[in-house]
Amino acid sequence: MKNPIRLVSMTIVAGLALSACGFGGDSGSDSTAADGATTLNLLVPTYSDQTKSLWEDVIKGFEAENTDIDVKLEVQSWDNINDVVRTKVQSNQAPDILNIDAFAGFVEDDLLYSADEVLSPETIADFQESFVENASIDGKQYGLPLIASARTMFYNKDIFEKAGVTAPPTTWDELEAAATKISALGDVYGYGLPLGSEEAQAEAGIWFFGGGGGYGDASEITVDTPENLEATQFFQKLATSGLTQPDAGASDRTPLIDTFIQGKIGMIVGLPPTIGQIAEKNPDLNYGTAPIATKDGSPVTLGVADHLMAFKNDGKKQDAIKKFLDYYYTPDVYVPWVDAEGFIPVTKSGSEELATKESIAPFLALLPDAQFYPSTNPKWSATQGAMQSLIGQVAQGKDAAAVLQEIQAKADS
Amino acid sequence: MSSTTTTAPAPAAGSPERPRRSFRDLLTALPWIGPSLALIILIVLFPAGYMVFSSTRDISQSGIDRGSAGFQNYLDVFAIPALPRVLANTAVWVVAVVALTVVLSLALSNFLNKQFPGRQIVRLAVIVPWAASVVMTTTVVYYGLQPNYGIINQFLADVGILDSPDFGFTKNATSAFVVAIVVAVFVSLPFTTYTLLAGLQSIPSDVVEAARMDGASHRQVYFSIILPQLKPALAVAAIINIINVFNSLPILRLMTGSIPGYDADTTTTLIFKLIQSDRAVDQASALSVVNFVIVIAVIALYMRIVKPMKGVDE
Amino acid sequence: MSNGVLTREPDARPAQPLKKPSRYATGGPGSGGSIPGRVVAGILVTLLFLLPYGIMLFGSLKSRAEILRIPPTYFPEQWHPDNYVTMWSTPETPLPQNLVSTIVISVAATVLVLIVALPAAYFTARFRFPGRMAFLFLVLVTQMLQPAVLVAGLFRQFLAFGIVDTWLAMILVNAAFNLAFAVWIMHSFFASVPQEIDEAAQIDGAGRWATLFRINLPLVWPGIVTAIIFTFVAAWNEFAASLVILSTAGNQPLSVALTKFVGQYDSAWQYVFGVSIVAIVPVIILFAIIEKRLVGGLTAGSIK
Repeated sequence: MKNPIRLVSMTIVAGLALSACGFGGDSGSDSTAADGATTLNLLVPTYSDQTKSLWEDVIKGFEAENTDIDVKLEVQSWDNINDVVRTKVQSNQAPDILNIDAFAGFVEDDLLYSADEVLSPETIADFQESFVENASIDGKQYGLPLIASARTMFYNKDIFEKAGVTAPPTTWDELEAAATKISALGDVYGYGLPLGSEEAQAEAGIWFFGGGGGYGDASEITVDTPENLEATQFFQKLATSGLTQPDAGASDRTPLIDTFIQGKIGMIVGLPPTIGQIAEKNPDLNYGTAPIATKDGSPVTLGVADHLMAFKNDGKKQDAIKKFLDYYYTPDVYVPWVDAEGFIPVTKSGSEELATKESIAPFLALLPDAQFYPSTNPKWSATQGAMQSLIGQVAQGKDAAAVLQEIQAKADS
Repeated sequence: MSSTTTTAPAPAAGSPERPRRSFRDLLTALPWIGPSLALIILIVLFPAGYMVFSSTRDISQSGIDRGSAGFQNYLDVFAIPALPRVLANTAVWVVAVVALTVVLSLALSNFLNKQFPGRQIVRLAVIVPWAASVVMTTTVVYYGLQPNYGIINQFLADVGILDSPDFGFTKNATSAFVVAIVVAVFVSLPFTTYTLLAGLQSIPSDVVEAARMDGASHRQVYFSIILPQLKPALAVAAIINIINVFNSLPILRLMTGSIPGYDADTTTTLIFKLIQSDRAVDQASALSVVNFVIVIAVIALYMRIVKPMKGVDE
Repeated sequence: MSNGVLTREPDARPAQPLKKPSRYATGGPGSGGSIPGRVVAGILVTLLFLLPYGIMLFGSLKSRAEILRIPPTYFPEQWHPDNYVTMWSTPETPLPQNLVSTIVISVAATVLVLIVALPAAYFTARFRFPGRMAFLFLVLVTQMLQPAVLVAGLFRQFLAFGIVDTWLAMILVNAAFNLAFAVWIMHSFFASVPQEIDEAAQIDGAGRWATLFRINLPLVWPGIVTAIIFTFVAAWNEFAASLVILSTAGNQPLSVALTKFVGQYDSAWQYVFGVSIVAIVPVIILFAIIEKRLVGGLTAGSIK
């Protein structure tokens, strides 16, 4: 054959025809193993280096009580878990139970059991109301809250003292003044502003909420609003006038928090695990935590909850799933789990038990003022992606209004 | 299978006046090429077809097929405002990396072919970036170049090249792109160098010696004797490099990943962003098909110009 | 084989059945350099190529706290060679099994590629047949596809075959997608072996397969070795398909296992670096073993 391209194109057409006619249907999954035991596939992301062993302990305890159920654990890093889940769903091989942040897209495709189908009423009643609301779509709960985290401001007391800042700022103007004094010291940065792709939607969201704006609700995404524009212009000013670390638009959160831990940054917004990281990496750091500064000084924080969710698949494993989830949420199992991971519990019994724990107390106090992502909006995932890949441009000097419009357009598409 | 063959050039393959012979030729070829064909058909055909199929479907963010989308995904991809910039970046990326790789590899393979004490160790060192995964090599360089805690940054500041170790090499599109090119060349060198070195090994020494006797200089010998003999190996190395560089994701993904916007993206990283950020696996499939067509066109053009298939086309 | 059906490649070169190894030790531009000059250049090249892995090695010997310190330390303040002991029994991933898995998959895929590619490379280099160019181009096309987007189709396909989460699946994937280079590079080496050698052998009554294995193979060792290294390394570091197809932790290769040390907020970089160093070593050993073949090349294979 003289024309290799012709052969290639024929090959592709053949492949296309094959896939079009042969693989639209259900390839079916084995819900029961040969010995009659039910196998549950559990897919979870890595929170810390203990995550896998913590889940293995849970599974061991559960299987001891339920000998007819095998739980197969798969752990993936946050970088990869979305790819793994999507590929499995695409091939009708969704895990039976999944731990991830957002669930609205799965509900939209009618893939999930609702909470009352896979949890006993007692377990559901133990969830704190704010999390239930955040896990429900049209009044029906699908997400099973797993852990919560909130943000608070961490500040370096030594740097504050050196710069002559007497108290942590509560308003944007105070924050700007404090950052100006700290930046004048020369070798440290005033405010750590991570607008890189890792978690830009969190940092920007905190500013949006602090200025009375936000991301919208379950029915509508509102990125391009006057309040958000004002907030964006404010943090843009911080970045472009040198009050933050350089290249704020491309700074990821994790390395920037490490930079704070090493004593190079005056203020930064951190999370519960930050406390443990400071203790491990630089225990001498003289730091404090304070509420996040807002436009008018009224307290607000970003609350984030990750969820478990149960996939229907072929519908044969509902009982086994229910047994496992009810077991998992019993306080004896759940509380040590969430405590070991260093997050905030989402159950009433859990918060009571851990209320006095030093590492999460500052965050528990903030929870009443927490605002959440509109994660029950199916468009949230795309919005989050657009925020992550685009909002940092404002720190490079691009017009704030244009950037917000671009993100809004992506969210609406 | 006894054979007494002629050395006369054969008629063009598949020429119309000898269809029966062509068919028999093909049958004879089958035991030799059959296993390769079987492996490709068994493993590669379906996923490739599935990619094309997906590009015409409406696939939800969770991965559910919602029916046919016609060519909408392609229209959406072509409507991406950053696409011209991304295509230009892709061209710069491929040309720069492959050209630098080939030139440096020629020099390096020439050097490694000479006799000197310790050559074995140098050869082993050169292969290390090949043995290491690209992701890990990139990760180390990436962390080395981080502001403040990067070792390479610290070193550049200590020797006075940087004023402060907080320079962000990977924080703006241009410098991150340049750094990515450097890393890509670095990890492509071992493979290319070794392919060329293997080519050098099969050049008969008497040809070289004869030329030297005739008074040719080193340079003349290299360019008029050795380089032409190296052509087949060089052509194959260049093809594989073009393809791999075109489709290379990890280096740019790490080096330019935290930069907002699409200023440092190639088609491959844009495909990745469509999947990860936009959750649009259907559009990503469409762009993959476009990308695939571009690569095929580039390679077909390359083969037409360079004619790497030794023998028949010469 | 009937006369003229399959015609040999015309050979551009004069007949040279017995070639000597090429040791044109003084050829090439810029070669004028003295031996000491070459040694110095060799040291510089070595340092340059080892630099990132030196950073990796020293990083793997630091404590978790030290690895992200500001300002960074060039060498560990406290040496932690114990990282190389503890990493084999971390809770994140069963590393010994991951190493075995990587070895099995890479070795098997490389063997499979050789078995499949060698005859194809030889035949396409020696004989014309209809579809020859198309075949070579098709092989190349397999190299052009984007792994990230192919994974969905591969996963589906292996579900249908019933081999999801098995080594076999990954052996097939690695073999199929790395066929191109092996076929092409060996093709180009076979094409440069003078055909008079084949003819002489066949006059002596050797069949075509015998001619390939006994006569040609020894002459094209450098090409085969290059193909082996290329395939082995590519399979060794494959990630995108293994990530999705191998879900059991113990089946996963090192490339996937590495990601288990990357946490949401904090990563065990000392282990990431340590595992990376460990992953490089077997490839270097393999190379050191077969590199002599590459250097020896035609010497080893000249016809007796």
